[in-house]
Amino acid sequence: MTIDYQGEHLLPGHLGQFFIVLAFGSALFSAISYYFATTNTNKLDTSWLYMGRIGYFLNSVSVIGIGACLFYIIYSNLFEYHYAWEHSSRTLPVYYIISSFWEGQEGSFWLWGFWQAVLGNILIWRAKSWEKPVLTVIAVSQTLLASMLLGVEIFGSRIGSSPFILLRQAMDAPIFSRPEYLSYVKDGNGLNPLLQNYWMVIHPPTLFLGFASMIVPFAYAVAGLWQKRYKEWVQPAISYALFAVMVLGTGVIMGSLWAYESLNFGGYWAWDPVENAALIPWLTLIGAVHVMIVYKNTGHAYFTATFLTLISFVLVLYASFLTRSGILGETSVHAFTDLGMFWHLVVDVVVFAIIAATLLIIRFKEMPISKKEEDTYSREFWMFVGSVFLALSCLQLVVVTSIPVWNAIFKTNIAPPSNPVTLYNVFQAGFAVVVTLLTGVTQFLKYKKTDITRFFISTILYLVFAAVITGVIVYLTGVYKLKFVFILVMLGAIYSILVNGKVLADAFKGKIKLAGSAVAHIGFGLIMVGALISAGTSNVVSQNTSGMDYGADFDKANNSRENVMLYKNVPIKMGDYTVTYVGDSISAPNHYFKVDYKLLDGNGNIKEEFILKPNSQYNNKMGLVSSPDTKHYLFHDLYTHISMAPLNVMQAGMDLGHDQETNDDANYNAPIAHDMAVGDTIQYRDGYIILEKLNKDAHVQNIPVTANDVAVGADLKVVSHGITYQAEPVYMVKNGSVFDFARKIDDAGLKLRLTKIIPEKNKFEIMVYDQPEGKRPYIVMRAINFPFINFLWTGTLIMIIGFLLSIFRRNKELKTV
Amino acid sequence: MKKSSIFGIITIAVAIAIIICTYGSASTYGTFKDADNNSGELHIIGHIDKQKEMEYDATKDANYFSFYMRDTIGNERKVVYTGTKPEDFDRTDKIVLVGQMNKGEFHASHILMKCPSKYTQDKLEVKADTKKASI
Repeated sequence: MTIDYQGEHLLPGHLGQFFIVLAFGSALFSAISYYFATTNTNKLDTSWLYMGRIGYFLNSVSVIGIGACLFYIIYSNLFEYHYAWEHSSRTLPVYYIISSFWEGQEGSFWLWGFWQAVLGNILIWRAKSWEKPVLTVIAVSQTLLASMLLGVEIFGSRIGSSPFILLRQAMDAPIFSRPEYLSYVKDGNGLNPLLQNYWMVIHPPTLFLGFASMIVPFAYAVAGLWQKRYKEWVQPAISYALFAVMVLGTGVIMGSLWAYESLNFGGYWAWDPVENAALIPWLTLIGAVHVMIVYKNTGHAYFTATFLTLISFVLVLYASFLTRSGILGETSVHAFTDLGMFWHLVVDVVVFAIIAATLLIIRFKEMPISKKEEDTYSREFWMFVGSVFLALSCLQLVVVTSIPVWNAIFKTNIAPPSNPVTLYNVFQAGFAVVVTLLTGVTQFLKYKKTDITRFFISTILYLVFAAVITGVIVYLTGVYKLKFVFILVMLGAIYSILVNGKVLADAFKGKIKLAGSAVAHIGFGLIMVGALISAGTSNVVSQNTSGMDYGADFDKANNSRENVMLYKNVPIKMGDYTVTYVGDSISAPNHYFKVDYKLLDGNGNIKEEFILKPNSQYNNKMGLVSSPDTKHYLFHDLYTHISMAPLNVMQAGMDLGHDQETNDDANYNAPIAHDMAVGDTIQYRDGYIILEKLNKDAHVQNIPVTANDVAVGADLKVVSHGITYQAEPVYMVKNGSVFDFARKIDDAGLKLRLTKIIPEKNKFEIMVYDQPEGKRPYIVMRAINFPFINFLWTGTLIMIIGFLLSIFRRNKELKTV
Repeated sequence: MKKSSIFGIITIAVAIAIIICTYGSASTYGTFKDADNNSGELHIIGHIDKQKEMEYDATKDANYFSFYMRDTIGNERKVVYTGTKPEDFDRTDKIVLVGQMNKGEFHASHILMKCPSKYTQDKLEVKADTKKASI
């Protein structure tokens, strides 16, 4: 039985699906054509080449078509499509529609395919004699990427996952038996609030441009081995490899900036498998870049250069398998869940791994591997050592991150280390010591042969100088309290900055060619310094000292009492700051908590005062989601986030201003009655109350006061924790009956009533209702100080500039050769 | 011996060291029973018992959260965590604890839950049903 569904817009979906199939077909056609173009021995026959190009252009057009259809669907809120329903909603602003576009796996595959299409076109234009073999490889990859989006059933199993699947096809629900089901699907799920951040608009495209561009050096290496142009491929591949490293590195840092700005774990790097997945290929390719330069200049390290270039792209695919197949399961909080593409992703890795391995094996004998040893005092030898250490650091990341994979292969049941961060930190720091020292030492070495005495004098001179500076920095920042290996990293980083600083200074005097690498090395050194100090000596400002005592051994096991509770308007001393939760501001759907920070000098005068507004939002899909707010200084950051806010505070915020005259005495402690004369002062728990004067002409909203009635208001001044409030409870006699109107001061947790007038004593009875602590608005927050974090960000910027300079330099060489 | 051979041996040695260290530092998955007999840190997979009391009262202590969890073979223990109650704890069912047993209570140093951004459980069924009920 078929149902005639109402209100569905099927055209964009059909069109999109058509483009997917076209993209797959044309990529396959292009790959086959380019393959025959490459193997064709008749040099005059260009028909295969043209067919390859036509296929590739057609693929590029289809990829753009897929993107256009998907964007139209999301932009027009066509919730009959699962992708739009899942990732977007009507209230989402346009710039976040872009983020929701690539929130899902399908969207990110598209992004990858898009960049690969762009790069392929650039190569068709620029690669000249390399076009045929290089484009063959890229078209194969493009075919596999398009197959990820196919979403068609072949032999009973679904191949790929299409973004154009309809809601009713994706899910089984009784509602879909109704033709008018769409009128009940009013809105989509919306974008995760954590992803509603400007970094999420640009971080994924950057990261995927990085991933996509890693195929170019890979394709050149394959082409070189395949076409037996062993020596020639390295030169053009260097520029592309530098580009890939620069873009991927930028993408990774953007991701950590996003984490720092909108996640709650309190930092910018957590060694989560998803983060590692992006770092793994970066490390091998940066190693590859260095040995490629070695090979170009000296003819040494050919095999290492080829191997690292090939393995980098295989690792990109392996990383995408890790994060997308669901294999990480419980070990990663960020990995995607399985879309039923496990084996598809495995095939993707295996295809390229086999291409790489086969070529390496069958061409091994013919490779131009130098028989002569490198000289011990030569730059090439130590660059080679440094690259191998980069690869080893990558190996450590792969081995530990892949624990679930080992479990799946060997049928074991090993859990990840219970403290992975420490393990990664120590290991990676060890490799960083070697690598940073080498980025310094190699600057004093020359290719082929170096004057040994001069080398030792300058190396040791700079090392002593670096040691002195390191000593000062380590002492001042408190890094000396950390493990020894971190102090060594600091030494290595400072050494690298000093030596490369010298190279840079020389570069300005004439050897301008060398500026790129020097600048990139300085940037890398600064990143290390910034990361070490900010992560190593970050301190929790909100260390809690109050609270129940759970016994000494508990505290020893878990000393992370990092959250502090703040009652509204009750200041608390937190480190050097006096911190007060002063109020809320709501800009739906975000609830901002205003936290006032005061820095007092010795005399109690305010040196500095600022308000941070960490926010929480209650999301139907995700529950309560909070984002931090950070005060940035030049030399440190003060990071604050809400760990928890009672829901009643959130709700109280929501209906602010709606005074309800219900009996809420249950929310207060038993009242205390005070007989007061005008001018009297009474004390209460949080401060004092003064009866300033009586208002004989009091008014209560909506209640007219006639000549026979009496209405008296008591003007009360309440001072609680240094803040003054005014309240006027009213006593009224109307038509012979007695009423009184209480006044509440929510922020101070008080309710005040004028309950009796005692004319003979000229006194008035004031009832004071005091809210018990638990009922009063409060927040639980955590504050962390990150010293010198700006070194990390400036280091990144400098490193990017260094990469750019290097790319220009290598491109220039390319033209002259 | 050639310099490159020496370096090759060093490289292989470091690689082996990495693998041994990984294996050595790896934790194990276990049950509460294992945790009773074991003083080291363990990973325990289980389901939150939502029938039993969850205790978190920021006004008493902002860094104390306790609940009950049943592991995969049905043992149930009280779990204590030093910190706030995680934001989407009520929406989670399956969790992984890292920690150790202490006097009959499991003291968790980490509670691992799926990040909500990737926790794509389709919930239309419930929604659709409630909507139908209100029609």
